[in-house]
Amino acid sequence: MTDKSPLFEFKDVHVEVEGKEVVKGVSLKIFAGEIHAIMGPNGSGKSSLSNALMGHPMYSITKGEAYIKGESILEMESDERSRAGMFLAFQYPLAIPGVSVANFLRAALKSHRGEDADMSDFRSLLKKEMAELSIDPAFATRYLNDGFSGGEKKRIEILQMSILNPSVALLDETDSGLDIDALKTVSAGINRYHDDSKGILLVTHYQRLLNYIKPDHVHVMSDGKFIKSGGPELALKLEDEGYDWIVNQTTVGA
Amino acid sequence: MKQNPEFLINEMTPHLHRGPDWLKAMRRSDRLGFNEAELPPRGIHLWRYTDPIRFMMDIDTATDADFTGALDAVVKAEAEHVKEGRLAALVTDRGGRDIDVQISPAGLPQGVIIGSLSDASESNFDLVKEHLYQMINRKSGKFEAMNGALWNDGIFIYVPDNVVIEKPVHLFREAGGENSATFPRLLVIVGRNAEVTLIDEYGGGSPDRNKGISFSNGAVELFGSEDSRTRYVSLQRYAPAMNSYFTHRAKLKQNATMLTIPLVFGGELCKQSFGVELAGAGADSKMYGLLFGSNRQHFDNHTLHHHSAGKSTSDIDFKVVLKDRALSAYTGLIRIDNKARTCEAYQENRNLLLNPGTRAETIPELEILNEDVSCSHGATLGPIDEESIFYLKSRGIERNEAVRMIVGGFVQSTFKLVPEDLKDRLSDFVATRLETI
Repeated sequence: MTDKSPLFEFKDVHVEVEGKEVVKGVSLKIFAGEIHAIMGPNGSGKSSLSNALMGHPMYSITKGEAYIKGESILEMESDERSRAGMFLAFQYPLAIPGVSVANFLRAALKSHRGEDADMSDFRSLLKKEMAELSIDPAFATRYLNDGFSGGEKKRIEILQMSILNPSVALLDETDSGLDIDALKTVSAGINRYHDDSKGILLVTHYQRLLNYIKPDHVHVMSDGKFIKSGGPELALKLEDEGYDWIVNQTTVGA
Repeated sequence: MKQNPEFLINEMTPHLHRGPDWLKAMRRSDRLGFNEAELPPRGIHLWRYTDPIRFMMDIDTATDADFTGALDAVVKAEAEHVKEGRLAALVTDRGGRDIDVQISPAGLPQGVIIGSLSDASESNFDLVKEHLYQMINRKSGKFEAMNGALWNDGIFIYVPDNVVIEKPVHLFREAGGENSATFPRLLVIVGRNAEVTLIDEYGGGSPDRNKGISFSNGAVELFGSEDSRTRYVSLQRYAPAMNSYFTHRAKLKQNATMLTIPLVFGGELCKQSFGVELAGAGADSKMYGLLFGSNRQHFDNHTLHHHSAGKSTSDIDFKVVLKDRALSAYTGLIRIDNKARTCEAYQENRNLLLNPGTRAETIPELEILNEDVSCSHGATLGPIDEESIFYLKSRGIERNEAVRMIVGGFVQSTFKLVPEDLKDRLSDFVATRLETI
């Protein structure tokens, strides 16, 4: 085990938003095949961490290191991080009026492959992946997220992930805004994507997503730090007892 | 060619002595109109953003237009479209000197006239005399009078009653190179229940300011008779060191419709005015414009919808994309006369700024003289959204490509309004300009 190098790793990462430090030194190693979950109350810094790792211009990493397959990402532009194998499914995906889902995905795929995908290959890939996620084929020609419901946006995020097939997927509150059927469909999509060569980092407030996607490791984040790590049982305890016990315990301990 | 704030049109200028007597008289009248008019005052909206002295070109110091052949390939490609029947006709106008007409193998419907305006002013004396200078003349302004005096030859298009020209007619106007001045002129008469589509393209001009600038001052008059349907695309893609002034006026009678598509891409300084008078009940005018500015391009555009008859409708959507240090001023006037009841008029101007250092001004002007109308106007102005760029980048798309996609998306709503058969041509024109953004 020890000679294996992590697929994705970050060390002592600090993140600032508008001059305020919201992530205060977190570290994690994700090995191929692993699913990690970061859980925590609202405002704990979970989303800031995932946005910063993807290179969002509003979130700056002021200290720390991050690597994908041993390669440092912090000097990379977001598009380079994507092409290096990273993916972030957004909590609130933006609408891009005038750009259709199909054209967007085709452009994204082209940037990854360095050449245009064959049109009929692309069409059948898109059709297949949309069917797997129970997305109406009509969405292919609709403008990206323009007028989509919350659940539709989340499916489209997972569609993008399935098509780009990244090495590491950061999924930011992908379960929020989903009804139970949509949750099952989306979870199935994530499980289909996941295999021994992939790493997943789930960011979630609730444990219900973890009923469908089994994490290997759970990390509890509060006030910009990981305050506890454990196995899947930790998530269940949080579900039963809430976050207060653990936050208080840490405060007392500190 | 020099700028000269004191410039007067010399009585001996050869252009003034072309054509039949009535035309010479009109030219002389516009010559006096130009010479007697003061420079437009900078205090009014229309001249707030552009110094009129920049159009005071001393054409006595201009050199003869030098056609470098840079646009021969474009003309040749268009000529192929004519041969293959995708265009009804191609008219090339080189600096107002030679008007050449190529017609598709299918020929033109009976009675259609497409050709030299000078020739028509003799052979179709009554028709031309009745319309030419009716909307653009010395009363329109100093620079409109300049064109009226100095146009050499222009293009005349006449579509008789009940005649439909199915395919577009492409008018290709080539300006000369550095130090040249050109005065394109167009007169279009669309008969009752007749239909025509025109692509009026302006190209050429000086490619390099260090060698000297070029100047163009154009005028277009379009008359839409009862129940006529006219589609007019103005495609301005002059070379980088062109200063251009352009006036478009159209008049629509009862139930006539007109779609005007200004595509504003080229030149260094470009001041244009597009105006349609809705002079009959049921007349409808739509104007959908796209402007792309980069480097230090300076654009000053006006639109005018004048409802002089009731029950007429108009709609304007003018979109602007600016990069580098480009500037765009847009002034949109809706005028509804007191007697023009139950009109509908809408106007929207949206500006997308790709970087700091660009400047966009938007000035809606409403002169609505009765209450029985439905009218609205809107304007937006803002930088490109960095979060949207990030979203595309997070999927592997490089910044420049992401910007192009977002700009393409921004103009997509205009394409939704464009008729299906024109979409491909227009998106080609736009894509070519977008490549340089």
